[in-house]
Amino acid sequence: MTQEDPVTQTDTMVNVAPIEIAQRRERPQSTAARETVFDIQNLSVSYGKAPAIKDVSFEIYHNRVTAIIGPSGCGKSTFIRTLNRMNDLVPSAKVEGEVLYHGVDLYAPKVDPVQVRRRIGMVFQKPNPFPKSIYDNVAWGLRVLGMKDNMDDRVQHALEQAALWDDVRHRLKKSALGLSGGQQQRLCIARALAVEPEVLLMDEPASALDPIATSRIEDLMHELKNEYTIVVVTHNMQQAARVADMTAFFGLEVLADKSRTGILVEYAETDKIFTQPADKRTEDYVTGRFG
Amino acid sequence: MATTPPNIDPRAAVLFQTDKRLRRRRIVNRLMEALGTLASLLAVSVLVIVVASVVKNGWSAFSVDFFTTSPSSSGFGTAEGGILPSIVGSFVLVLIATLVALPIGVMVAIFVSELAPRKLADTIRLALDVINGLPTIVTGIFIFSVLVLAQGQSAIAGGLALAIIGLPLVARSAQEVLRLVPSSYREAGLALGAPRWRTILGVILPTSLGGILTGTTLAIARVAGETAPLLFTCSLAITTSVTWDPREPVQSMPLTIFTSAEQPDPSFHAQAWATGAVLLGFVLIVSLISKFFLARSRRKLAR
Amino acid sequence: MRVTLQEDLDTLQASLLEEGELVLRALRGALNALREADAELADEVIAFDDEVDQRYLEVEQAIEALLARQTPVAVDLRLVLAMLHINLHLERMADYCVTIAKLTKLVAGLEPDSRMIQAFEEMGSRAEEMIKVALEAFVDRDVDEASSLVDLDELIDRANRRVVRQVLELDPELSEWGVRMLLVSRCLERIGDHAVDIGEQVAYLVTAEFREFTDASHPVQGP
Repeated sequence: MTQEDPVTQTDTMVNVAPIEIAQRRERPQSTAARETVFDIQNLSVSYGKAPAIKDVSFEIYHNRVTAIIGPSGCGKSTFIRTLNRMNDLVPSAKVEGEVLYHGVDLYAPKVDPVQVRRRIGMVFQKPNPFPKSIYDNVAWGLRVLGMKDNMDDRVQHALEQAALWDDVRHRLKKSALGLSGGQQQRLCIARALAVEPEVLLMDEPASALDPIATSRIEDLMHELKNEYTIVVVTHNMQQAARVADMTAFFGLEVLADKSRTGILVEYAETDKIFTQPADKRTEDYVTGRFG
Repeated sequence: MATTPPNIDPRAAVLFQTDKRLRRRRIVNRLMEALGTLASLLAVSVLVIVVASVVKNGWSAFSVDFFTTSPSSSGFGTAEGGILPSIVGSFVLVLIATLVALPIGVMVAIFVSELAPRKLADTIRLALDVINGLPTIVTGIFIFSVLVLAQGQSAIAGGLALAIIGLPLVARSAQEVLRLVPSSYREAGLALGAPRWRTILGVILPTSLGGILTGTTLAIARVAGETAPLLFTCSLAITTSVTWDPREPVQSMPLTIFTSAEQPDPSFHAQAWATGAVLLGFVLIVSLISKFFLARSRRKLAR
Repeated sequence: MRVTLQEDLDTLQASLLEEGELVLRALRGALNALREADAELADEVIAFDDEVDQRYLEVEQAIEALLARQTPVAVDLRLVLAMLHINLHLERMADYCVTIAKLTKLVAGLEPDSRMIQAFEEMGSRAEEMIKVALEAFVDRDVDEASSLVDLDELIDRANRRVVRQVLELDPELSEWGVRMLLVSRCLERIGDHAVDIGEQVAYLVTAEFREFTDASHPVQGP
């Protein structure tokens, strides 16, 4: 970098790679232009009499990775399943409050849960590809939802997005169950992405995988957030520190009748949660001094 | 501080050379093994004895004609001709029974394991168990009163009676296999935005196909040999020619055994034994086929 | 893999090099102000230090966030710790430039000794060179290049000792000016020391051993 300069009259060259600086300047800052996808208001979920989460309110933004962390039993999985109405599968589940998706309450009477799940996809803790071929795994959702045009291209694009295409391009007809754990999980991601959701919910997606496969999934999340909204539940807070832009810490609250329920303790940029959390409970948790 | 008593040699303790309790344990182990082997041999030998005596006694009646021609007389005098009508008739009856029991059994299984609320599912399961335990002659009489009194005997009536007997078998096997399908498949299908029935049809059912076929073949093996339900529904058949028409009563192998055994002439007795051998052979082949399907479906799900 | 960690490390290094760039500009400005006895330029150098301080703070906070979020280990950890120290040394060097500028303002109006001014120009160039070598050694992760800083520092140290003798030989009218210049000389010598410290961090980064190149408490007798 050479320049005329009021302070110095000579050129000064230092061995700096200008590309890296340019990249840094172009990365979106966390607070720039946040678009709200989910506006959760006073959400409470209980299974029969047992309260799972109580009075949770915060917003989830587009093109961000939002992590939900907290001790076991604090309702993280319950919460994320509320976002795509998977809690409907549990007959005793009762949902109060509002989950506004682009302003529409997902639990309004006229809302069709099947439609909700088309827009809000989910990847589970244990990879669960169907016992079909790799191609059919990705194509099944497309066929069911009537997205049958350019099937081959769609399947390839989904597998590319999940960073799996190169691994499997030559064995698309082989059974999906022959893939390694990490590959199976990426196949599940491809399967979810194929139907073009806006949001991808991930319930502890890497907890069943070895560290290298985990690292791959984390890099993938970093890639995918450019196109999707990612919400990830993880019991590994270092993972949240590495991948998430925003972090929500769920804690446990003991109710009057001695039962425990999950509450939202703190929700902020991940930087802040891990350098100067506002709430002591958050600090106790992230420093490992919890319980 | 360690509290091991000082006079036990650790090596000897590990090598078990001086422990009297261990010797007794070994003897008991060997005894149980021997008893178990004996009991298994006993069970297998029963089968061997039955098969052997059937084959031995029916040997004289075996010939190509036995399988390909119809009896030439109406049952008096010596046996002439073969049991082709019985073979065909059994085939027709089993076919009708399968066509009725398979779809209904599968749908009941799907309903009970995927869709019904808990109490209803339990009730239906109980009902199926009761049907399974119904005396087959009662089933026969039931069909008789409902169908035969009005329309006369027919293969359809016999087939329906057999279907009732086979239904719980198909439903139970299908249920077992459906339960084996991991619920993660259902979750995955639903999370994609697929309606429930598509997930069942597209993922759950194909995965459990092997087990369903197993149940079906087991049911076939069972109903092929049933005699009592046919007594009132499908026993008055023309014995000298082959009938394919299901609206008419047809001959069947179990009934042939029954009637042939009642004949005075020993040649008929031999035919009865031989028909028994054919039935046994059929059951054996069908069992082997069902094992094949079961092994295949286990391999698909167990990875 | 660990794409975000690598991105963060690269960005941090780029920030640090930018800060080095700023320090070089500050030094050049201070030297020019000294040579021309330009009080206005000296004021600009003093004001410019705010930019360096701001960059220093940004790098500090970025390192804090990186340690908290990425939990680097092994060579990554040493890199982050080395950058933490280099950040500090750069900021101190900029502070010395401010001191030189303030001394320049103090002697405005006093008669300078042109021979010594020339000597300071040479010392200053040497210091500039040391900063550049230190930063290049860091970018290249080159221990030999870092070690060469010791010899360059020796030259500045000798020049510093000569300045003392020269000040003592000055005419009495120039003695106030001379005393101030003693401090200027010391500032330049300290800038050289900080450059050597940066070199030591580079060696630590590469070899995982922290070793001082020269130990002040065990001086090697020079010629």
